Amino acid sequence: MNNPPLTQTYDCIVVGSGASGSIVASKLSEAGQSVLILEAGPSRELKDLVSSQLWARQLKWSGSPVEEEGNHKVGHGFNAGFGAGGSALHHYGVWPRLHNNDFDVLSKHGRSLDWPISYETLRPYYDEVQADVGISGDAKAEIWRPKGDPYPMPPLPVFAQGQVIGKGFSAMGLTTAPIPLAINSVPFKGEPSCTYDGWCDAGCPIGALKNPLVTHLQRAAVSGAEIRYDAQVTRVIIDKTNQQMARGVEYIDRDGQVYLVKGGKVVVAAFTVQTVRILLNSIRANGVALGNQFDNLGRYLTTHAGRTVFGLFPDQTDPHLGATGGQLICHDHYDDKTAIEGSFGSYQWLIANAVKPNGLLGYANSRPDIFGPKLQPFMEQAAKHLGNMLYIGEDRSVRQNRVVLSDKIDKFGIPIARTIHNAGPEQDAQMDFAMSEGGAIFRAGGATDIWTGPRAPIHIMGGAVMGSEEKASVTDDLGLVHGTDNVYVVGPSVFPTSGAVNPTFTVSALAYRTAEHLSRLS
Amino acid sequence: MNDLSRRNFIASTSLGMAGMIVGGSLISPRQAHAASLPLKTLNKVQARTLGALAEALVPGALEAGIIQYVDKQLAESNTLLILKYLGLDASAMPGFYRNSLDSAHSLCQSLFTKSPESLTADQAQDWAANIAAGSDEKWQGPPAKFFFFVTRADACDVVFGTNAGSEALNIPYMAHIAPTTTW
Repeated sequence: MNNPPLTQTYDCIVVGSGASGSIVASKLSEAGQSVLILEAGPSRELKDLVSSQLWARQLKWSGSPVEEEGNHKVGHGFNAGFGAGGSALHHYGVWPRLHNNDFDVLSKHGRSLDWPISYETLRPYYDEVQADVGISGDAKAEIWRPKGDPYPMPPLPVFAQGQVIGKGFSAMGLTTAPIPLAINSVPFKGEPSCTYDGWCDAGCPIGALKNPLVTHLQRAAVSGAEIRYDAQVTRVIIDKTNQQMARGVEYIDRDGQVYLVKGGKVVVAAFTVQTVRILLNSIRANGVALGNQFDNLGRYLTTHAGRTVFGLFPDQTDPHLGATGGQLICHDHYDDKTAIEGSFGSYQWLIANAVKPNGLLGYANSRPDIFGPKLQPFMEQAAKHLGNMLYIGEDRSVRQNRVVLSDKIDKFGIPIARTIHNAGPEQDAQMDFAMSEGGAIFRAGGATDIWTGPRAPIHIMGGAVMGSEEKASVTDDLGLVHGTDNVYVVGPSVFPTSGAVNPTFTVSALAYRTAEHLSRLS
Repeated sequence: MNDLSRRNFIASTSLGMAGMIVGGSLISPRQAHAASLPLKTLNKVQARTLGALAEALVPGALEAGIIQYVDKQLAESNTLLILKYLGLDASAMPGFYRNSLDSAHSLCQSLFTKSPESLTADQAQDWAANIAAGSDEKWQGPPAKFFFFVTRADACDVVFGTNAGSEALNIPYMAHIAPTTTW
């Protein structure tokens, strides 16, 4: 590899074009700073978002391999995106807030970690994001929702599937509310309303579901940020004399050409696993990677446990209608993390997800035991009468769950990432409880056949966790990497705890906060 | 598998190398199957085994082009195969299919002393159920249950993952941007 000199200089280099990176880039660019975004994957446009479970797979990670081990692997191939917009290009737009009790788990319960900020610190940023980007929902109906402004759009409609399953929740004395979705229920800031076709996870080409191509990546480009695609950042370049100062980054294009670019600030927003990999490959003169002076980098890797309950109902449910993320939400089991014996943590139900026949989440693959001549009758019945809902459970933050560098290298000679993640018995107990509850809800709603899918990893967080103590974390509350003057991390990798809600709203709120800070710096 | 399907199937795996581009136009796996185009990644026995198993699992998979779909996607740099979601690196995918299909073929021979494409409908179901159970000591390849799941999912993709697949279930496809079927 040849190393061209550091010739180009930017006020800020942002590594990654997903939810958090595009926010920081747009905010800083709009504040007048020169910004370069380096995205490992290809450029994508709205016209690339084809309505197909097969073509949607092109949006997923296709970069350097990631090794995974443990009894609950993090599912990098499914969860990570690749290219413009990152994983936010195919995310479902389910945007609940973390609750107050997610921020002080260690202090209150002696396990996992504390955040260095409270919900009240983050609340104004949640409010700002939802006013800016747009969320549909009914804040009053979410009786468990922490304080915040009402949503700027009314909720999306509840279709037959949601109505049928909702009856089951009511019969069990449980509460449901419309899911808060970053999807337009009415036209919003020039983007049209949703057409309820259930293609959210293939990417929404009309912009009704808020992906970075219609929000902050677009804003970044309009305000002058430069974006380079197929640019895999390998390491942060550290000043030879001032080891706290980053000079820029090194990246490799798809042909293997190496480039160095200078930046006054470096913001690593490469999603959880690759963010840690880049930092682990950024070695100081003393042989220690950036942010790893206390052996915290890569640790506290978390992923939500997800598991779907399926059922066939006598009523017609039309499960192809609605949003992939679902129609209703239940947080009745959120605010008491110790309510279930033998378990710990919060969980939520995402109810009446729009579902397709094929694909990993499709109903064909929910019953691998049905094949041959029996398959078509099952498919025809499921196409009209299926109900489903997704359990999402809180993970534990433990040091043993982590991202490390493998002894294997990618095609460019860079060490690849290896993830180690195991669920504990308390997660198993919670999921067992939830599956039992889910079955009872479906029976109460009239379901005849009821079954569950396998446990699946949903969302990937941690690895570069923020904290108030340098010895116990990787960054401060703004994402500044400890021991550095100008290297920041944004994205879900800074989450000290996972909570039990989908992370993109919180990722966005944190990125707004960090961007506000960075925009004040010269 | 009906006789016509079997004839097409056998013919499709008997040609020399070519591609999925015919006369400068991309064609679908279904069209490639109908045109009996040759293969890129799998050998003839592996292809026949894949076709027979997929048809046993998801009727219609053979004519929908399951062989051509898997064979072509194994040669793509950014594959559409569901394996992409299941923790297997792209470079390991051809080996996964080849080894699994070789094992499935050997298992079929040991159970019925026949090639997969020669099984009766009942025998094909028994063969598939054996692979699904994942407990046969004669199986030598990657985990049989996993291979079963993957092959069934691939077959569901080509049969149900299209506009025609939705129509067959009497539900609307409702595409924002309609997909091509030239995967």
